Amino acid sequence: MSDGYDWSLRVRDLVKVFNQKVRANDGISLTVEPGEVYGLLGPNGAGKSTLVKQVIGLLAPDAGTIALGPHDLVADPDAGRQLCSYLPQAQMPIASFRAREAIDITGMIRGGDAAAVARRRDELIEALDIGEWRNTLGARLSGGVRRLVGFAMVTVTPGRVVVLDEPTNDVDPLRRRLLWQEVRRLGDAGVAVLLVTHNVLEAEKAVDRLAVIDRGRLLAEGTPSSLKAEDRGRLRLQVMLAPRSETPPLPPFVEHHTRVGHNLMTVIVEAQAAHAIGWAQELIGLGIAEEYALGATTLEDVYIRLTGDVEAAGREVPG
Amino acid sequence: MIALTPPTRLRSGSGYWWHSYRMMVRWELTGLRLVLPVTVMVQILTGAGFVLALGLFFGQVPPRAALFVSTGVLVLTLVTIGLVLGPQLVAQQKAEQTYDFLWSLPVPRTTAALAWVTTNFILGLPGMLVALGVALLRYDLDLHVSPAVVPAVLLTLLTGTMIGYALAHALGNPMLIAAITQLTIFVILGFSPINFPADQLPGWLAALHRWLPLAPMADTVRAGLTVGVVEGVARSYLVLGAWAAASVAVTAAVLRRRG
Repeated sequence: MSDGYDWSLRVRDLVKVFNQKVRANDGISLTVEPGEVYGLLGPNGAGKSTLVKQVIGLLAPDAGTIALGPHDLVADPDAGRQLCSYLPQAQMPIASFRAREAIDITGMIRGGDAAAVARRRDELIEALDIGEWRNTLGARLSGGVRRLVGFAMVTVTPGRVVVLDEPTNDVDPLRRRLLWQEVRRLGDAGVAVLLVTHNVLEAEKAVDRLAVIDRGRLLAEGTPSSLKAEDRGRLRLQVMLAPRSETPPLPPFVEHHTRVGHNLMTVIVEAQAAHAIGWAQELIGLGIAEEYALGATTLEDVYIRLTGDVEAAGREVPG
Repeated sequence: MIALTPPTRLRSGSGYWWHSYRMMVRWELTGLRLVLPVTVMVQILTGAGFVLALGLFFGQVPPRAALFVSTGVLVLTLVTIGLVLGPQLVAQQKAEQTYDFLWSLPVPRTTAALAWVTTNFILGLPGMLVALGVALLRYDLDLHVSPAVVPAVLLTLLTGTMIGYALAHALGNPMLIAAITQLTIFVILGFSPINFPADQLPGWLAALHRWLPLAPMADTVRAGLTVGVVEGVARSYLVLGAWAAASVAVTAAVLRRRG
């Protein structure tokens, strides 16, 4: 950076304990570089929101440090609030604001001057394709549009760090793409984007690097392909079981499996693909299964292996 | 495409403070837009209603009673918003989980608190003025408005708003906040020497009110509007001033607190 400071977000050995026993963050260290979109993945209750609330100064850690540029964000939470924009998971309190107004006021609260905020607001409204609601009161907006207005509110005058907690909740598939393009633009402008989600497939497409956390600990970190590298030589065999079927006995080439509803997901050794297809066809022949699909392993398989969170596997992810 | 430039230095100083304050007042007023007309109307009707109801109750109202009620109602309209509506709004923010976003906004905490006091003033002022006007029309009041009414009104507003604010922010549970505000309004309307002299209360309650902020609020405001009605106003200013300082200090501490 031209001013000589390190504008990466540096979290070191962060510990946050609730009620003297729940270790919501249990020694987490990570670095988000300027220009990077960094995903924080984990099941509900993994400690993701606790982590970002400490970054923006709403919670104080029990141990560890958070630094950004020359600032210690633990000692100086005001600096955290000035330098980090935050889109919380809950909806924005803008029932009586017109969409345009909500974006303008937060842009100016964040220090943007009126003219620059107005230009960037128009640009965001166009980029997110929400022009038809620009003068609509928040109370009359659908959940998805309100979410997009919230995104515009926190990025109209972005901080050094932009924290997005499940930004695409309720957003339709087409506008999700538009939102991800804007997230990428923030990165291109040198903003460090910290994306909190449990939507694995979406994260895989949107992030440069990611961390998987569970029970307050960081389980793995890297680019999506580096995390998938461990699964090289493996394939994913997905079997749709017939209604009311028990999970059939699994052959030895199945390395692990999860079942959500009728959907049996298995990870198999690639060299055994022919046997696996034979097994799946046999299940269909016996009426235990209805169809199957064989494909490359995805980040989702890595995620399930690390966290055991099968909920993510059953989710349909548009966009 | 606009070039985005993330900030490299922190804002500070009086320009930053003043800008933040103006923006937060705008945020509060816009946020209340849907309920603003109703709230102001309720304040006006409550204030005027109190003044007129007294006449309906007694027919012939003694001048001293008319004077007490007419001046006491101003305090009611000033403090009910801060002590009741304010905490309820915070409880709502906590219940809807929008609280975190509001507290992540990069403004000095003092500007958020002062913007709320200002908003209370804007919401309460019409009711206060209408109540006074109605009282003047209905009763033959012997009012002597002195400049002392200004600090009295501002101190009353500040204290009432900050007590409600500190309470709402300090308590985590929205239901508890709602219960306490119900109790507060009950005590204010029924058992506080605001609309009547303290000597009409049981001795122990009158003694207690010497140290609570409500009676001093009524005394200081009333002293700014009348002559020879209020005794010992200096003590009332001292008690009220102490409550104001304490409520501001507690608010500051609560707002700095992190979980």
